[in-house]
Amino acid sequence: MGIDALRTALIDRRDFLRAAGAGFAAVMAPRAWADTLAADAVFATAFVKRDGSFGAAVLSEAGRILHTVGLPDRGHDVTFDPVSKRSVVFARQPGTFAVVFDNAGRDEPLTIASIAGRHFFGHGVFSPDGALLYATENDFDNAAGVVGIYDARSNFSRVGEFPTYGIGPHELLLLGDGRTLAIANGGIETHPDYGRAELNIATMKPSYTLVDRITGDLVEKHELPPALHQLSIRHMDRDRAGTVWFGCQYRGPPTDRPALVGRAARGKELELLEMPLDVLSALRNYIGSVAANAATGTVAVTSPEGNSLAVLDAISGRVVATRSLVEVCGLAPDGAGFMATTGAGEIVGSAGAVRSEPDYVWDNHMLRIPASA
Amino acid sequence: MPKRLALFLPLLLAAALPASAAVKASDVIGRAIDGFVRPAYASLDQHAAGLTRAMHQLCETPSEPNLEAARSAFSGTVEAWSVAEIIAFGPIKQNNRLERMLYWPDRKSIGLRQVQSTLAAKDPSATDPAQLAQKSVAMQGLGALEYVLYGDGAETLARKDDPYRCAYGAAVAGNIEAIAGEVRDAWQNPDGFASLWANPGAKNPLYRDGTEAVAELVGVFINELEMIRDVRLKGFLGAKPDADKPKQAIYWRSQNTTASLAGNLSGVDLLFQASKLGDALPADARWMAESIHIQLTNGVAAAKSVSGPIDRALADPALRDRLEHFAQITSSLSTLIGTRMTAEFGLTAGFSSLDGD
Repeated sequence: MGIDALRTALIDRRDFLRAAGAGFAAVMAPRAWADTLAADAVFATAFVKRDGSFGAAVLSEAGRILHTVGLPDRGHDVTFDPVSKRSVVFARQPGTFAVVFDNAGRDEPLTIASIAGRHFFGHGVFSPDGALLYATENDFDNAAGVVGIYDARSNFSRVGEFPTYGIGPHELLLLGDGRTLAIANGGIETHPDYGRAELNIATMKPSYTLVDRITGDLVEKHELPPALHQLSIRHMDRDRAGTVWFGCQYRGPPTDRPALVGRAARGKELELLEMPLDVLSALRNYIGSVAANAATGTVAVTSPEGNSLAVLDAISGRVVATRSLVEVCGLAPDGAGFMATTGAGEIVGSAGAVRSEPDYVWDNHMLRIPASA
Repeated sequence: MPKRLALFLPLLLAAALPASAAVKASDVIGRAIDGFVRPAYASLDQHAAGLTRAMHQLCETPSEPNLEAARSAFSGTVEAWSVAEIIAFGPIKQNNRLERMLYWPDRKSIGLRQVQSTLAAKDPSATDPAQLAQKSVAMQGLGALEYVLYGDGAETLARKDDPYRCAYGAAVAGNIEAIAGEVRDAWQNPDGFASLWANPGAKNPLYRDGTEAVAELVGVFINELEMIRDVRLKGFLGAKPDADKPKQAIYWRSQNTTASLAGNLSGVDLLFQASKLGDALPADARWMAESIHIQLTNGVAAAKSVSGPIDRALADPALRDRLEHFAQITSSLSTLIGTRMTAEFGLTAGFSSLDGD
């Protein structure tokens, strides 16, 4: 199988090996190559093409498209299992599919369909041993968030679910103990009968919950102050200290300027961070992605609404850098900074180099997959 | 709702639309406000005032003709609202006005249950518009009044035996009038939201340049066409007839479903014409403006040609076809405006408007 793939004109040998991961490279390539590649990562993201088609792509650190997989509709986030080295891209809400694919395109993609009465919210995460996949889902007739559980070793059959203890769950993370899931319950009720229309803006109540993935029990639940009940908690990442950073989207009047970024530590109340007004204004009450860079101790947030990116120091919480980028959203740690993608097809490297793929509208999220994974 | 409109060449649009240096972003927005937004909300306020009067008249002198007059005023208000509601940002987003005016869709029948229990309990505080405004958003707007005027027991309004129902309905009408008046005044205020929208600039907290101001306008077309099709129409029009859900149709009780759809599209047409956005198109793309107008006119006509109870319309293949046709027109318009026209302006609607991801 390797020979055909290596001959393809679409990707060169080195990129193919990189996409396949270092483990694969070590088998297929001279030792020296594997060493060279060990430092390289790949990035996975969903996209919409200008011709109207949908897919997910694996990008090199230089922003080259290494591999793509087609999707029946718009995707959202990607998660990766370092054990089986497979990625899963989830449909954007209220989508009903998730596609499991091999980053190098060696295996046929496998499609997971949501069960009747549920749809995906676009995010998921594997258990550390790669055995189970957890996805945020909507029990829409009951307006209740659930986490669907899929058995990765049995063709991703759905083996159960537990509640998220909130409405409209969005991103979820696995915490460092390997057992606790952090879940952003955005608080917004939707129902597929009405597309993506938001049905409870006047009464919405977002929350941040910690749930034991083994028992499904609620471990902690935190809400924002009542005055901020329209501040939807949606995206998260974990910094090197294990603190969870979250980014919000505000559904109240656009002239309001609530804090949009906060952090959560176990056993403590949520902390919302003040920002300089010009930085906050540029985020337009809408954070689309949050990513932490453990190497640099920084956290970045993006706003496609405000065409801006802000970087914060993970200790002090202060803004240390900002950048204007048209329709920036996708975000992943990379070297000494962050790689970002935009709706205008740009891939912006951590050193600032911009690569343009004008046929692609990069979707909201990007996942960094280290070569060691 | 947040807009997700990518701006491809923001510098070109900072002062003027690229196609024509003579067409300034602030002029387009100024025309949209003066030619559409202000008159639309003023009309809503007038209709709402008439509705309040008609309700008081009905309460003072219950009779069949006065019930008919109140229902007619209700339908007129629904139509005026359907035109104005395409401007779903700005003052209507303050103080939950949008949800208080129209709590829809009400999937779990929260509003229905609250209205029914209010009518059963005869809560006196719900007959005062000011106190009603502080209650649940689901029991103080058009949906609540529709149930009062058309729901189970509405026939008692024509007799003297249920004064509470009428008094509550009059309070709902008064609350609708109050909301409409606040929104009209806020748009009229020369230092208010209108000034922000029409005067983009570096210090402007909402619109940093002309591109962002124009994107808000173009976003109305894109967002509302999607909302009309995916939320309002497909909420009850199934992919096949056996998937139709007539009781999920907005205003099904008052048979205003299609009038509302027509009002929405005619609002889009009026706004497009008033803003003269089409003038900013290059000469070889001017056909788009004409085509947009023609299709909107056809869509309005298609919706208006379906009258009577919506469940009967859905059961009649010929009428149901017209609703399908209406859906196709909105899809075609979404492509024409969202893809082709935005490309001419160097804007690209890369992401869906009803976003929230």
